[in-house]
Amino acid sequence: MRSLAGVCFVAVGLLASSPASAQDVESLKKELEQMRQQFESMKEGYEKAMNQMGERIKALESRQAPAAAPPAVAAPPGTAPPVLAAPPATVPPAGATPPATAPPAIAAPPATAPPSAVAAPAGPPPTATPVSGQAVAQTPAASPNLTELARPREPFSLYQQRGAGQLLFDIGVTGDFIGDLTQNNVQQAQGGTFPGLENYVFAREVELSLFGQIDPYARAEVRFEASQEQRGQSPTVTLAEANLTLMTLPFDTQAKLGQMRNRFGLTNQIHEHDLPFVDRPDVLVEFLGQDGLVEKGAEFTWVPPLPFYVELLGGVFNGDNDTAFGFANIKKPLVTGRVKTFFELGDYGAIQLGASVANGLQPNGLTNTLVGADMKYKYVPDGWQHPLLTVAGEWLYQLRRVSAPTATDPSQTQTLNRSGWYLFGELQPVQFGALSRFSLGFRYDWTEYPTNPGQQWAAEPFITFMPSEFLRFRLVYKHTHGNTPGCCTNTNVGSARIKDEIFLQSTFILGAHPAHPF
Amino acid sequence: MRTAVMHVLLALVVTGLLARDVGGADKIRVVATTTDLKALTEVVGGDFVDVDALARGNQNPHDLEVRPSLMVKVRRADLLVTNGLELDQWAEVVVQGSNNAKVIPGASGRIDASRGLLVLEVPTTHVDRSMGDVHPVGNPHYTLDPGMAPAITANILDGLARLQPANRATFEQNRKAFLGRLDEAMARWTTTMAPFKGARVIVDHNMWLYFLTRFGLLQAGTVEERPGIPPTPGHLTRLIAQMKDEHIKLILVEPWSDQKLAERVAQDADAKVTVMASGVGAVKGTDSYIDMVDYNVRAVAQGLR
Repeated sequence: MRSLAGVCFVAVGLLASSPASAQDVESLKKELEQMRQQFESMKEGYEKAMNQMGERIKALESRQAPAAAPPAVAAPPGTAPPVLAAPPATVPPAGATPPATAPPAIAAPPATAPPSAVAAPAGPPPTATPVSGQAVAQTPAASPNLTELARPREPFSLYQQRGAGQLLFDIGVTGDFIGDLTQNNVQQAQGGTFPGLENYVFAREVELSLFGQIDPYARAEVRFEASQEQRGQSPTVTLAEANLTLMTLPFDTQAKLGQMRNRFGLTNQIHEHDLPFVDRPDVLVEFLGQDGLVEKGAEFTWVPPLPFYVELLGGVFNGDNDTAFGFANIKKPLVTGRVKTFFELGDYGAIQLGASVANGLQPNGLTNTLVGADMKYKYVPDGWQHPLLTVAGEWLYQLRRVSAPTATDPSQTQTLNRSGWYLFGELQPVQFGALSRFSLGFRYDWTEYPTNPGQQWAAEPFITFMPSEFLRFRLVYKHTHGNTPGCCTNTNVGSARIKDEIFLQSTFILGAHPAHPF
Repeated sequence: MRTAVMHVLLALVVTGLLARDVGGADKIRVVATTTDLKALTEVVGGDFVDVDALARGNQNPHDLEVRPSLMVKVRRADLLVTNGLELDQWAEVVVQGSNNAKVIPGASGRIDASRGLLVLEVPTTHVDRSMGDVHPVGNPHYTLDPGMAPAITANILDGLARLQPANRATFEQNRKAFLGRLDEAMARWTTTMAPFKGARVIVDHNMWLYFLTRFGLLQAGTVEERPGIPPTPGHLTRLIAQMKDEHIKLILVEPWSDQKLAERVAQDADAKVTVMASGVGAVKGTDSYIDMVDYNVRAVAQGLR
């Protein structure tokens, strides 16, 4: 084929050369002779390369396992002709752009496949011969010929070098933008759900995610996040997560090391753009801060070989979270634990139950313990692609030691027992068609304040529209009612005790994004 | 409180340790991501395997919800058979949550059934999601083509023999017997489909390409406007016009697709809708691989008559 292309190239060159009238016969003859020599040289080069390639194929075939499998393209005796004998059976619809796909004859086998299109798979992937590497190493270093010189070079060839055969990790970008509307007094008090960003459109989170296997034993996940903290300022970039998971530890355990969103409760581990509602539940914001529990340390998990699912988790961390802990010393670490289980309820329903604990020190050296319980239920009728109904909730209880000096004992402490919870439901009632892309949700929050007296409740109905798996819009109304005057007031400028807020959220995903767990 | 929690945890640990070796001692515990791969693993492994599937036959395998119950299945597996070609990428999340080092990527307990197959519709130019939820490494629905079964079972055989080399001969014998049965069926299917060679059909999702190619039928269009994207009214109007112009008389749909919509299109275009078995067990009477293909061949032949 390539030789034929070379011949055509030469022929085109001949036809396109200067008109004969402008050349004398001798000059043309000389040029023709030169081209003939060049053609012969090219032909020899190709023959040599083809012979070497043939020898290489023989050598590789002799090294591969014997052909236990018949070739993928060969049908068993008496069967229909092989798939590759016929072109794919698609017919481009009238007026439509033909799909950018290859005919089967040039479809490439996966990277781990043997080099020959007809060779059978051999041993396990790790021991498979790195075909592409050898191909590079053993390609004869022939001098470039006309065809090779005419072939597109970078940047065009760069695209061809990418693809399934490359050692690339997954890359994804997510963008999460919010428009926030509320009363002026809430803005003045900077007491909204997104403090300091009331009546403003902002990038809540633009995240670059990189994840994949490090080697046969571990995988890694790195996420950089740009988010806007204050109005008028540029987003600041932070390291949101960077951790590795050791997957081949003894006794069927795994260890996750580095910086991570802790698997504490139901929604703490979920990134902002993936939350099933626009904002983190009030109880989590009050007890763990706006960003939730993000710590540096290690988490260990074990899934016992039981007939039902149970995951046991233990973690040791610095305790950097200054809302709940903040001692930030690994010698006196923040210790976390979680147990999670799951049950199928018939063919269509399923429930997950979890319990979590976190115990650490505050900057003053006094302990704080958070205990949580959570549940999530989903109902997916037969044949549905999405849940018809999702119900989830989480409850948190705090036992925080605080100073309570008395006249007789200035070092006296006491425990502040505080709690909060939320319940969330989402209904996606249409199975097919454009309306199936809409869902209706509602969340109710109730929480006490971790150190101040009083409590607040909030009701948050919302509607979500997902044109595709990678794009989502959400319209939210949130009414918050704090029942202790002074709880959320900046007395100089305004009050945010009772607030009404409207949020418009738009979220997109570019590139890779791992499947979501239940 | 603390003591009670400690007791519960201790009980779980002890129960877990005691339960470690529960199960068939000599059988290879295999989990396949789809029911097609489960059925093909069973025919090769015979009495030496105990196979379970993650997706049900009538579920859309592109986007399965990762439930912890799937992790329980993989947790106990010696071998995980995946379809590959990015159809069942969700299986990686299942594997990560199962804490089973035997089946992590690169381990000997992994079989990618697509290995070595020549794949249709591998993109040769830039693709992005403006084209819908495209498969960037090619069409992954090769198991629906019975002509691919020899290569798929060869991959499965290699994986099983890695774990039980002593039983390789038995696996080969099982596979040979299955391919013999498949040969007989293939002759029957080829005869049944011969009168319809060159016939044009519409499909709901582009998952019947290998099957249609095998029997010489042509896919003239899709009800989906683009993969994973519901059709717009404009697309449906064009599709109906195309079906009328080209006298296309059959729409193939999967059990999990919008059959009412397909019926409406078919009604307007004076065509029929046939629900295909998108996997083993997807519809009644398709409990084995050969039964599934048998059902699909009969369904298409009846639809085109």
